[in-house]
Amino acid sequence: MPIELPPTSTAKPRWQTSPLMTTEEIDSSLQIVPARSFSIDQLVAAYNQTRVDYLVPMPMNAARLAEYIHIYDVDLDYSQVAVDGDQILGLAMLGVRPGRIWITRLGVLPIKRRRGTGEALMRALLAAANQLRISYACLEVIKHNLPAHTLFLKLGFVETRELLILRRPPGPPVEIPSAEVGWLNHAEALALLDTRITPPAWTNETPSLAHLENLAGLSLSLPDGTAGWLVFERQKFILSHFIMQTSQGDAVALGQALLAHLYQRYPDLDTHAENIPVDDPHLAAFFGARFVESFRRIEMHRH
Amino acid sequence: MPQDDLSTPSLLVIDDNLEHLELVRRIMTARGYRVWVAANGETGLQLALEQQPDVLVIDLGLPDVDGQTLIGHLKHLPAFVDKPIIACTAWPEETARNMVEMYGCDGYISKPIRTADFADRIAAYLHR
Repeated sequence: MPIELPPTSTAKPRWQTSPLMTTEEIDSSLQIVPARSFSIDQLVAAYNQTRVDYLVPMPMNAARLAEYIHIYDVDLDYSQVAVDGDQILGLAMLGVRPGRIWITRLGVLPIKRRRGTGEALMRALLAAANQLRISYACLEVIKHNLPAHTLFLKLGFVETRELLILRRPPGPPVEIPSAEVGWLNHAEALALLDTRITPPAWTNETPSLAHLENLAGLSLSLPDGTAGWLVFERQKFILSHFIMQTSQGDAVALGQALLAHLYQRYPDLDTHAENIPVDDPHLAAFFGARFVESFRRIEMHRH
Repeated sequence: MPQDDLSTPSLLVIDDNLEHLELVRRIMTARGYRVWVAANGETGLQLALEQQPDVLVIDLGLPDVDGQTLIGHLKHLPAFVDKPIIACTAWPEETARNMVEMYGCDGYISKPIRTADFADRIAAYLHR
């Protein structure tokens, strides 16, 4: 069912007075409008409808979308919605941080695809980046989403790496290695992130994690000198935003110990570990701790 | 609204698709079930804890708490360990099967549901 815009009055539509004048005619009827012109309820309804046929639809409600906008620094003045008359056809969101932008939540209603709507949205976002004088753009695309991947290549994006989305159902660890363990609060966990070696995906960058209310961490050392830490978010039902780093020693042994101690403490929580690089040295520890690959994303960027 | 006859079987359906909820409610009420419905995970969890239904049907794609998370949570509560929890999903069969195995579901029913045998399938889980 199409998303209907609110009834229009004789007053000028709000988007025509937006600070970002990117409204452009792609054909006689399609218009690109800043997302700020819409309510969160309208945006989330549109987002959910663009994903109904996805392999992993990941629907959201208004509260989750608002949280997403906050955590990932999505700017609704520069995010865009494609409309045709009173109907929303698709949307795309723009995260903005110093010197870089992130393109996310791009989606077009299934019955309106293959008509240039996605490309029009993308070009509007890139125009917004130009207006912000930012040349570095990044995004992630679900692996095997060929139309989107092809569009990003056409617009000059290149692949940087593959990212794994892992899940683990609740359950205690099988074995708990002996170790010195220290639990970290929000500030302590955040401080550790500055020592990261691998550049994180946008969702795991320090500004993203700094926005998480329940960020915590765990540092650990094993008798053989292996040492490192895990930073994560603990929500009511799930653990998420896993960042693991080995300071010295065996990465897999460290990962096994960190995860064992984590799940000894939180056996009842589900886990979503998103955007773990495929070459992460701790992957064997994740899989040994009953994590399962849910799907993959391809990270891409453009200068 | 569910009747208060505790001798009849009870079902809780959690799904954000209101048409689907209504369809299941009608089918199962006609079969004599007491039926509760919830359009999101939080409300569904609350109803599950309060009403202790005999069988639960949970959509995997919920907009607040995802269906697998909710199922995993319920299956770790002693009151639900032995109760049938059935996933209902439009996901491809292989994905659905993997999630069902991983999160301890008792089975899954693909969407759109077949109205002709939906009630029989629920009854089969209940009588296992």
